Amino acid sequence: MKATAGGLYAIWLREVKRAIRDRGQLIGGVVRPLLYVLIMGIGLNPYFRGEIYGEVRFVVPYTYVQFLFPAVIALNIMYTSVQSAVSVIWDREFGFLREVLVSPMSRAAILLGKILGGTTVALFHGALVLALARFADLPMTLSDLGLGLALMFMLAFALTSLGVVIANRIRSFEGFGVFSNVVILPLYFLSSSIFPLDPSLTSAQTRVIYPEWLVVLIELNPLTYAIDALRGVFIHFHQFDPRIGPAVLLAMAAAFFLIALFDFRRT
Amino acid sequence: MIAAPSPAVEIDHISKRYGRTLALDGATFAVARGGLFALLGPNGAGKTTLLHILCTILRPDSGTARIGGIDVVQQPLKARSHLGVVFQEPSLDDRLTVAENLEFHGLVYGVPRALRRSRIAEMLALVELEKWRDSLVRTLSSGMKRRLEIARALVHDSQILFLDEPTAGLDAQSRERMWQYLRSARDERELTVIVTTHYIDEVESCDRVCIIDNGRILADDTPAALKARHGHARLRVGPRDEATTAELLAAHADIATRQGDDIVLRAGGDAFTESFLARYGTRIRALSVEEPSLESVFLSLTGRELRDQAAGARERTYEFGKRGGEHTR
Repeated sequence: MKATAGGLYAIWLREVKRAIRDRGQLIGGVVRPLLYVLIMGIGLNPYFRGEIYGEVRFVVPYTYVQFLFPAVIALNIMYTSVQSAVSVIWDREFGFLREVLVSPMSRAAILLGKILGGTTVALFHGALVLALARFADLPMTLSDLGLGLALMFMLAFALTSLGVVIANRIRSFEGFGVFSNVVILPLYFLSSSIFPLDPSLTSAQTRVIYPEWLVVLIELNPLTYAIDALRGVFIHFHQFDPRIGPAVLLAMAAAFFLIALFDFRRT
Repeated sequence: MIAAPSPAVEIDHISKRYGRTLALDGATFAVARGGLFALLGPNGAGKTTLLHILCTILRPDSGTARIGGIDVVQQPLKARSHLGVVFQEPSLDDRLTVAENLEFHGLVYGVPRALRRSRIAEMLALVELEKWRDSLVRTLSSGMKRRLEIARALVHDSQILFLDEPTAGLDAQSRERMWQYLRSARDERELTVIVTTHYIDEVESCDRVCIIDNGRILADDTPAALKARHGHARLRVGPRDEATTAELLAAHADIATRQGDDIVLRAGGDAFTESFLARYGTRIRALSVEEPSLESVFLSLTGRELRDQAAGARERTYEFGKRGGEHTR
């Protein structure tokens, strides 16, 4: 038991150390939120209310930067989590995997250590975005922050597990690059991250205003609810039932971890 | 009750198939505790497959394998805690330092902190890498990496050390040093070292040699006993003229083969040499006695030489199997 704890720590520490030493990843984690919050967020801020078109369909009590902010946290976590799967491919291709496979650690412990390591790095990158909170005019209490970090942890854990699941199905680094963009960007844009669905409308009314396929895709995307949960904490605004978000996050974390474990046990 | 210590490694009718290729065909042997044991065979003989089964990363199709009495299929975690493994391809994290790699290993194997510290220092000294303690592994040469892997495999209380071709790709000097480290590790603690190799000259100094070819164990004994049983002394004769050559070939048709200008006679013993000299002494310009070598043991067991073998279809199939049959998929 003690040995397993030590082993978990070793695997976790290795992931964190490798991430710290990888400057490129860190630069990405800093630049991405700057682009989204400072340029896209502040740039689109004045157009958000819709008065410009002469018709106010709905009024929401937040600015565009505020609305976008929680989604940028999710985006940063998403990129880093899925990227951490590269280290799974790396270990496999460069032989390090064997070192842990012949060790007395169980497959579940190895996988858990690896995913917790990736989760920690992703959580850190998500937290980097919080440093921009004052540009988004977001006051934050300590309890908001704690709750937010807990939700971010669940999201990071779920997405890192998803990254591992994807990595197990990909044979090369090149393939992973393509795949991650094909997965990350559509998931992100289809999560009501950069535009809201009108919260005052019913589901049927929403389908009249927006094309039905778009609404369906957004409602099917689990990330939609994860971002909604983060919005609930950081700007106290929900587009969906507030209970759905945490439930979806838990379900995602459990499901992706179990799939990753199933794959790993077979090898 | 004190049971007799079980053998370090015991395999019983192990078979493994990759697709249509039989990699191991009912292999059976046992290795006593302590000592340096070599698994000798050409590329593709099934050495690596056997090793992977013993380190529990491959499952045998049939048969049983035990390590220190523990079945590797039924209790893989327990079996692994007694193992140190050095794979053919490096399995270090080259973005971590030398010390960090060893520390990682110690933690994963549950070595207590104080012991971990002293073991790491001790093992770095053994393989002469103290100066590189804080260097990133990617800055090391391939020989140094191999040495580090040996040190790493000894950081925990490994009772059995497996090395898969530890000297492949190293220069002669590094190869010699590698064996030195292995011998001193064997002498310093109760350790059974099992090495696969296809360099025949390296196994002369091992305590026991097991010859494997085409997935089958052909012989398993001390080098001296193998040579006595399967080896042949040879007389290499350089006749002065063609007439003598022809006469020699005719007189010893059953044991003579011609190699260039020389004739090699598969015969030995002082009596034969003396009578041969008495008869032909004036008609030859050179004569040398070649003691039985493991090379000749291998030749008589398999009917071919170990060296000079190109990668055949069989070997390529293995390479494929090694990649496809495991986690590397």
